Amino acid sequence: MNTNSITHLNTSDMHSTTMRSAGQLIKRSLINTRRLPSAFLPTLAMPIFNMVSFSGTFFALTKLPGFPTDRSVNWFMPLGLAMGSAFSGVGLGFSLIRDLENGFYDRMRMAPTSRISLIVGPVLATWIRVTLVTLIVFGAGTLLGARPTAGVLSYLCSWIAALGISTIGAGWGLGLAYRFQDMRGAAIMQLSIFLTMFLSTAQVPLNVMTGWLHTVARINPITNIFRLSRSGWVNASDPGHMSWSNAYGGLIAIAVLSVLSLIFALRSLQKIDK
Amino acid sequence: MSNSPIIAENLVRHFGDVHAVKGINLEVKAGEVFGFLGPNGAGKSTAVRMLTTLLRPTSGTARVAGFDVVKQADQVRRSIGVALQDAAIDPLMTGAELLALQAVLYGIPASVLKKRSDELLERVGLTAAASRRVSTYSGGMRRRLDLALSLIHQPTVLFLDEPTTGLDPMSRLTLWEEVRRLNREGTTVMLTTQYLEEADQLADRIAIIDHGKIVREGKPADLKASVGAPTLIIKTNIDQTEKAKSVLSTFGDLRPGAEGALGVGLIGGAALVTEVVRKLDEAGVHVAHLEINEPSLDDVFAEATGYRLEGADNAPSAGDNGDNGDEKPKKKSRRGRK
Repeated sequence: MNTNSITHLNTSDMHSTTMRSAGQLIKRSLINTRRLPSAFLPTLAMPIFNMVSFSGTFFALTKLPGFPTDRSVNWFMPLGLAMGSAFSGVGLGFSLIRDLENGFYDRMRMAPTSRISLIVGPVLATWIRVTLVTLIVFGAGTLLGARPTAGVLSYLCSWIAALGISTIGAGWGLGLAYRFQDMRGAAIMQLSIFLTMFLSTAQVPLNVMTGWLHTVARINPITNIFRLSRSGWVNASDPGHMSWSNAYGGLIAIAVLSVLSLIFALRSLQKIDK
Repeated sequence: MSNSPIIAENLVRHFGDVHAVKGINLEVKAGEVFGFLGPNGAGKSTAVRMLTTLLRPTSGTARVAGFDVVKQADQVRRSIGVALQDAAIDPLMTGAELLALQAVLYGIPASVLKKRSDELLERVGLTAAASRRVSTYSGGMRRRLDLALSLIHQPTVLFLDEPTTGLDPMSRLTLWEEVRRLNREGTTVMLTTQYLEEADQLADRIAIIDHGKIVREGKPADLKASVGAPTLIIKTNIDQTEKAKSVLSTFGDLRPGAEGALGVGLIGGAALVTEVVRKLDEAGVHVAHLEINEPSLDDVFAEATGYRLEGADNAPSAGDNGDNGDEKPKKKSRRGRK
């Protein structure tokens, strides 16, 4: 070590800004994605695998009376996107657990930056990853025969739904990671995401469901998000086709669940400080 | 109110039924290197985590750099640098990237960020490794980077939590030198360590913590003087231990020794050694090994706690690891003293 003196900083220079910190945390998250692709690839492979396997296996579903599309890939591509987005979101919880366990997160908690930036930065990085995944899934879906029925709006609605689901998953995953601070949180993250997804219209439309599953799916807000995501991929003659009435429920569900999950994450972070 | 940079008053931390820190009081004066000495699980790290705003006290108060650690946590964070145990740094990032991240989190303007990072990298000897991923760094390099990260915002108070644990002797000496240099430049340093030599070498004052309580506090020289007499250590056959103890006890108080050795504080000083040997010989005690030690911090520790720090690694303990603090460590030494 040499004996260089250090540049003096006035305390007035040290005005931490939330957005600057969030920006740096986005950068860190993307650097880690590039350097550890094995952590990112499952969120890319899963939606493509889901889309390919479900649309092939459950092709016969499209023959059901009242099924909203005659292209199974049109139905299952939004499901693949939703699953990939949800796991991108909760994946943030996994990364956080790693940081908590190796002590790196203590360094961030000791910084005088706003707590919001510690959450917003990684969530925005997830949006970037989800956008990348969405573009690739759209490409793969097109190759498999998916065709939009509402032009650019079809892609836009599915993308918004994907961002929304990733935000909800991220808030939930971060909150659980902060609460448990170890891999116990990971099991709850995965289980809860699977249950919430599959107790909705993830696989089949409401009109072919019966009994308690129909009731649960009808009140599950994720159903509204699927309606938004698929509105540009169902037949133009279907009641679920692109319209404001089919969109607003999903947008409200995204807004409310995102806010709630991010509040859960922030509260959980504040709980660690106590 | 005192303007000392670190003041703790009756600081307590419980984890459920576990009482990790049981009401510590300490005051670290400006410009000091303060050593916080204790075995694993004594409560050192828990205390430091409270002082660095990572953990809220169950009760009691603490002020760091003039700010309350609970009510003014952000001001405390702006004023302190912290290098925690195990050099917690993201192995996927490079040294330069981590410094940039740390600088932004502390609100350092972009205009000076690069210059400051370069200065710190040069200072800790990592300029050439700045663009390498941390996963390729040695343990010593990680510690030096950790130190650089903690200095990015020029803190007035620096907390170093066991900064040399696991380092080779050369890396340890390098880090010691840097701590001294920082202190010369005016930084107040609070150093936790389980190494007696480290505390002896670096600290102006030390506090010994055991089972969540401070059991001794003062300047190393004063503490050593308080133990008083030099210690005579002998090793003998196990069947002659009681006879040897009987002889030794006539020269002073018996003290714990390492690996079956017997110790006695020679009240009359080192000049009595020949007399002790003669008495042992007369009693038929065969002396296999004999040494005389001037008082050390190990003696201070042993006198304060009833066991030697060097043998406390495996002792049941409270605090850092969440063990119950009411159980007393074994009163024996696993290794010899330094």
